[in-house]
Amino acid sequence: MSPLSAKRRKLDHTSTSLDDSESEANEPQSTPNISEEAPAPPRPRHTKRTHDDDDAALYAGGIYKSSLFKLQVDELLREVAPNYAKRFGGLTEALHKLKGLIEGIEERDALSISDATEWLHKSHKIAVPFPDPKPDKNAAYKLTYTRPSNINVIGSYVLRTMVKSDSTLSVDMLVVMPASIFQEKDYLNYRYFYKRAYYLACITAGLQQSVQEEFGLAFEFLHGNELHPILILKPKSDATKPVLNYAIKIIPAAPQGIFAASKLHPTKNSVRPKDSAEHERAVQVPTPFYNASIQSDCNFESYLKLLHSALKSSDGFKDACILGRSWLRQRGFASQISTGGFGHFEWAALTALLLKGGGAKDHSVLSPGYSSYQMFKAVLQFLSAHDLVANPVAYESIDYVASRPPGPVLFDGHRGQNLLYKMTSWSYHLLREEARASLSMLNDATFDQFESTFIVRTSRPLQRWDCIFKLSLPSQPIRTPSCDHMSSVAEFSLRVAEVLAEGLTDRIKIFDIKGPETTSWSIKSAAPSTVQPSLMVSVSFDPANIDRLVDHGPPAEEKKKAAKFQKFWGEKAELRRFKDGSILESLVWSSGSSYSIFQSITTYLVKRHFGPEVAGSLKFIGEGFERLLLGSGPSTKSFETLRQSFSAFEKQVRDLEGLPLQLRHLSPVCAQLRYSSIELPSFSSGQPLRNPADVLIQFEGSGRWPDDVVAIQRTKIAFLLKIGSLLEEVDESTTTRLGLENEDKPHQNCAFLHVIYGSGAAFRLRIHNDREQILLERQIKDKSTDHRVREDAASALSVYKRSFLQLPLHTQSIATHCTRFPLLSPTIRLMKMWFDRHMLAGHIRDEVIELLVARTFMQPYPWRTPSSTMTGFLRTLLFISRWDWRVEPLIVDFTGTMTSKDVDSINTRLEAWRKIDPAMNRTVLFAASNHDKTGTAFTDNGPSKLVASRMTSLARSACKLVKEKDLELDPRSLFVASTADYDFVIHLSPHFAGNHQQKEASKPKYKNLEMHSEATLDIVGYQPVHSYIDELKKVYTNTVVFFHVELPGSVIAGLWNPQAVAPRPLKVNLAYSTTPAGVAGEENEGVIQLDKSAILAEIARLGGDMVSEIVVHR
Amino acid sequence: MSKIGEYTILPISIPPTPAYPKHTTHTLYLRLHAPKIPTENDERSLFVVNVPIDSMVAHFRAVFASLTGAGRVEDVTFEHERRCAVPSREVALVGKASKKRKRGSEGTEDNGVAELPQIWDRELRRSGSTAVVLFVDAKSVKSALKAVRKLHKSSKKEKGRDGAWPIWGAGIEGKVAKLGSARYLAHQRLQYPDETVLKMNVDAFMTEFNRMEEERAKREKRMRNVPDEDGFVTVTRGGRTGPARSEEAEQKKTEMAERERKKREELQSAGFYRFQVREQRKAEQGELVRKFEEDRKRVGAMKEKRGRFRPER
Repeated sequence: MSPLSAKRRKLDHTSTSLDDSESEANEPQSTPNISEEAPAPPRPRHTKRTHDDDDAALYAGGIYKSSLFKLQVDELLREVAPNYAKRFGGLTEALHKLKGLIEGIEERDALSISDATEWLHKSHKIAVPFPDPKPDKNAAYKLTYTRPSNINVIGSYVLRTMVKSDSTLSVDMLVVMPASIFQEKDYLNYRYFYKRAYYLACITAGLQQSVQEEFGLAFEFLHGNELHPILILKPKSDATKPVLNYAIKIIPAAPQGIFAASKLHPTKNSVRPKDSAEHERAVQVPTPFYNASIQSDCNFESYLKLLHSALKSSDGFKDACILGRSWLRQRGFASQISTGGFGHFEWAALTALLLKGGGAKDHSVLSPGYSSYQMFKAVLQFLSAHDLVANPVAYESIDYVASRPPGPVLFDGHRGQNLLYKMTSWSYHLLREEARASLSMLNDATFDQFESTFIVRTSRPLQRWDCIFKLSLPSQPIRTPSCDHMSSVAEFSLRVAEVLAEGLTDRIKIFDIKGPETTSWSIKSAAPSTVQPSLMVSVSFDPANIDRLVDHGPPAEEKKKAAKFQKFWGEKAELRRFKDGSILESLVWSSGSSYSIFQSITTYLVKRHFGPEVAGSLKFIGEGFERLLLGSGPSTKSFETLRQSFSAFEKQVRDLEGLPLQLRHLSPVCAQLRYSSIELPSFSSGQPLRNPADVLIQFEGSGRWPDDVVAIQRTKIAFLLKIGSLLEEVDESTTTRLGLENEDKPHQNCAFLHVIYGSGAAFRLRIHNDREQILLERQIKDKSTDHRVREDAASALSVYKRSFLQLPLHTQSIATHCTRFPLLSPTIRLMKMWFDRHMLAGHIRDEVIELLVARTFMQPYPWRTPSSTMTGFLRTLLFISRWDWRVEPLIVDFTGTMTSKDVDSINTRLEAWRKIDPAMNRTVLFAASNHDKTGTAFTDNGPSKLVASRMTSLARSACKLVKEKDLELDPRSLFVASTADYDFVIHLSPHFAGNHQQKEASKPKYKNLEMHSEATLDIVGYQPVHSYIDELKKVYTNTVVFFHVELPGSVIAGLWNPQAVAPRPLKVNLAYSTTPAGVAGEENEGVIQLDKSAILAEIARLGGDMVSEIVVHR
Repeated sequence: MSKIGEYTILPISIPPTPAYPKHTTHTLYLRLHAPKIPTENDERSLFVVNVPIDSMVAHFRAVFASLTGAGRVEDVTFEHERRCAVPSREVALVGKASKKRKRGSEGTEDNGVAELPQIWDRELRRSGSTAVVLFVDAKSVKSALKAVRKLHKSSKKEKGRDGAWPIWGAGIEGKVAKLGSARYLAHQRLQYPDETVLKMNVDAFMTEFNRMEEERAKREKRMRNVPDEDGFVTVTRGGRTGPARSEEAEQKKTEMAERERKKREELQSAGFYRFQVREQRKAEQGELVRKFEEDRKRVGAMKEKRGRFRPER
């Protein structure tokens, strides 16, 4: 650490010491009285501190990720802190009143269980929330109620580490039961929990009458733990008061140390099996969950003290807790068993423990001098570095004997409790994976990862998981040999997890199982009414293994393993001999998409292990997106075929003899050659590729090229003709045709060569000559020429740079990464389809869409690289919806070699652009990559601001739909576009609409007639609708913005340019058709306006027989 | 209303089509042609603003035939046809050559400068563009304008009946190339011209181009020896030694400058003197402060957009 930052730390400490003295008041031991815990007046802390810290942030590079990150964290902390005074209006009084009321509840003599239940039911209509198994009515012990030994407010309300959220904020009120009502052996066989439940019911009975006016009462399981029923009080809203969105939880707790910690160690058994009393000593299966549930009841105050001392000793602690809380929340973790069992309490306790120890040689992992961010990151580091399932960690516990409960263990020896007792092994793996992902993104020095760390919600199932399936619980519960307390849901999920892990092996990377969330229930019944519960299993694929068709089991010689394999798989397991001579147990699955393979395996596993009833309830979600893609079968195949044809073509050109110049290289520049066209490139000998794949050819430099751009373009014709005739000589089945283009742009490329092979592969060849650039640049610089000439040259130069310099590089990068990430190609195609369906494809270049998707794969944070089309697509959509292109560039780092300096320079460039052109008339989107640091290669002429905003708003509404519908989402609904927003719509006659043409082209032909006829060659590159749209765009540049769908393409929509619609005086060069608007003699005489009907009539005339109808919306 | 400023309004009635079955009119604005640089034909020319996008010479012939009788229109020149089509370096230098590169309508085809074969069977006009209609004599222009005024008067009398306006495309059916799919089919055909024609075309272009290059070289050579009126000789490229390309020279120059700069930088960055080290450190610090200020500004801007720091729900 630099001396500068050390100085800062010292300063900070003094500046916050004031606050410390203030928080002293919240010291728990000294306050059985709540008054001192009342919410303090809004502290001046934030404003003051940030002022100090802002300057400190200057040198924050070492302590925070970057100064930018630090500033953002400060903003976040300010944003998430709730306004305690406003949010908890009247809470202090309410807590006081409750305390008084509880203390005033009259004591009850010891009653037998049946008497106690009856009394509560008769006099108060309250059911005692006894946990399952229900207590024996004839039990010898008695239930008593006496005044609580202590009442205290605990939790994040006291620590002031709450964050704003949409759910109700809750205040925990701890009621410590007196030690006198318990006996030494009460920890055994649920006796403690029965007494606790009775105690809670008594408090409920005492409060019921007196607070009914203000509060609604209900029971709830604390953190979804069925052993911990609590009373929850929700303020009733009435007309006069504003709705108060908080709840008070009344938690009965045991006095600390009432039971011997050694008895409740995770390795001990506290639930004795009933029938096997005789060999009690022999088989004592540990009951870690049960034990920890008791211990956690005893440790509430102890943990509160721990947190307080941490808060006092370390400045960063509080903010680190808030950061951790936000981080967990965005990842869907909470203390509830159904949401992972790791919430902010566990986070704070873990941080506090790590401040005290946990490192090597009993050193602490965290130092009190750490900044909040350092502390946050170090906790993530701790979570990701240790595997607490395989290697449990124990604190301050020398005698800890490692046992292997199913979940992770972080044993707090001082308090004798496993802090992570509510976690399952899979939720722990998920937490670790998230910690690892976040850590690697925080270590990314190039890009700012603030948003992905704290802002983006990563837990949405459709964006997080590749496949989700639901299955309902079997009606006959499956029993495990354990006698630990376990709900049927927990038991079943454990079994499912085991089966999935064994059956799917490396096909999946990670999975999660979620049970139903527990809700609060009426105090009139003992337990929540149960609906048929079902589990939601989410899976993340490993793209490399998911579609494997043959699984290899153990060899036949290893009898034991083979038998186990057979037992697990049943009749599906078969013995096979493989090519290398080995004889292995194996499984063979029928081929199909990755989803269909996954589904058949899962269905088989569920059926085999849980019966057909459960298998029948299976419901898979996630495949819908992949199915939307046109063309069936493995998509890479047809791209691969075209790539092969291209290599053959390249080789042929290389081998040509008699080319006037030495060939340098042939580079593909077409979406079809980079695996990313919406339509699969399909061709056969009778049916050439409809749209030939673009290829550039470059020769070695030569001084013989003319010194003039126009002359170069003409010379290219001669070259192409020569290449064509040479190719036709080499292979007779090849047909070549020279075509002309850009007839009105003499500076631009004017000719291309169609090369159509006998196999049907077709290429469009253009010549790249690097002298063009120099000549054009010279023309632009030449001040003596006409400005129009210079403008022409400038636009020609930008076209040159895009099509001859950028496109080959871009194509290469995308193609490489499509082979690296098998899902990049389908995701790009789906994303393009989305753009196309919403009629944006004509405005936003393919390359921009490819870059957008590539970003999702190259910089996948906060997730990992997508492993399904669905996640890739939805994450890209989410990015677009959040992308503020006004101030943010899109940066794609293909090679992972960009530095923060590069990013800075791209940012600066964007700022410069915005300064020059604040209205964003020229460049709107800014899409940079390794190849193009200027960021404008593909966004130079379009999309306009209008189109870009439309893209954002469409993406936003799509994301909203995804959020609202969640698992019920129909993927098709995202692709439905409405044309109601447009001013007019041109309907094409069905004969020319995309669908029809495709059908016509794919008509079956006689095999023996499959030859290139003139007719089939003529349709290569023939797209009348495209030409029509191009001409419309050219003719009405300033008047109308046209939108159209590429495929199936039956409509063209148009919007009038609002600038053109306004009436104005007559001018010669208005560039749109007008008609007089004024009336003679009136003020507006001589004013003209846009002649909409004349333009529509022109459009109809130009379209001729291709247009069936023009519908005007307004 | 028959006039806006100097322009006479001529509404053209557009017959309805199946796709757009509405009866519409298209407004033309007419005036006498008066360009900045007058020509001898101005008197008998009419300047037309806002021509329909599918205008052809035949259309205007038909329109004015219905107004003043057949055979009065000699030619029509559309806006972009008057613009110089091939602006190139040579064009700027050699005024004479530029004339030869103009569009075919100027009748320079026989000079041998090859235009590429047309790839459309008829051209489209930009929306709202202009044209100049050349009549056979000045009298016809006046009578055309008069006829328009007369039509206006008669239409005023019989309100709602403007069937008297000239009808677009009347009487030329079959004489002009069809629009719609036929146009794009023709384009598909024309886009791939015959190879021999193309070859000849390129050859012709290159011969002409080479001739001009030679001419230019000769002229430059001449200029080398001719002092101008002040007695100076213009220095031009190429002399006794073979001609060097100017950009090569430029490249060399920049290379030299680059090398020089690198050398200097190396010396400086070595931090030989104490003041250099001090300055460097100062600069670094300044950079840090600058970056921080930038970051602060950025965060401030983000703050303005609400929700930027609010975790998503």
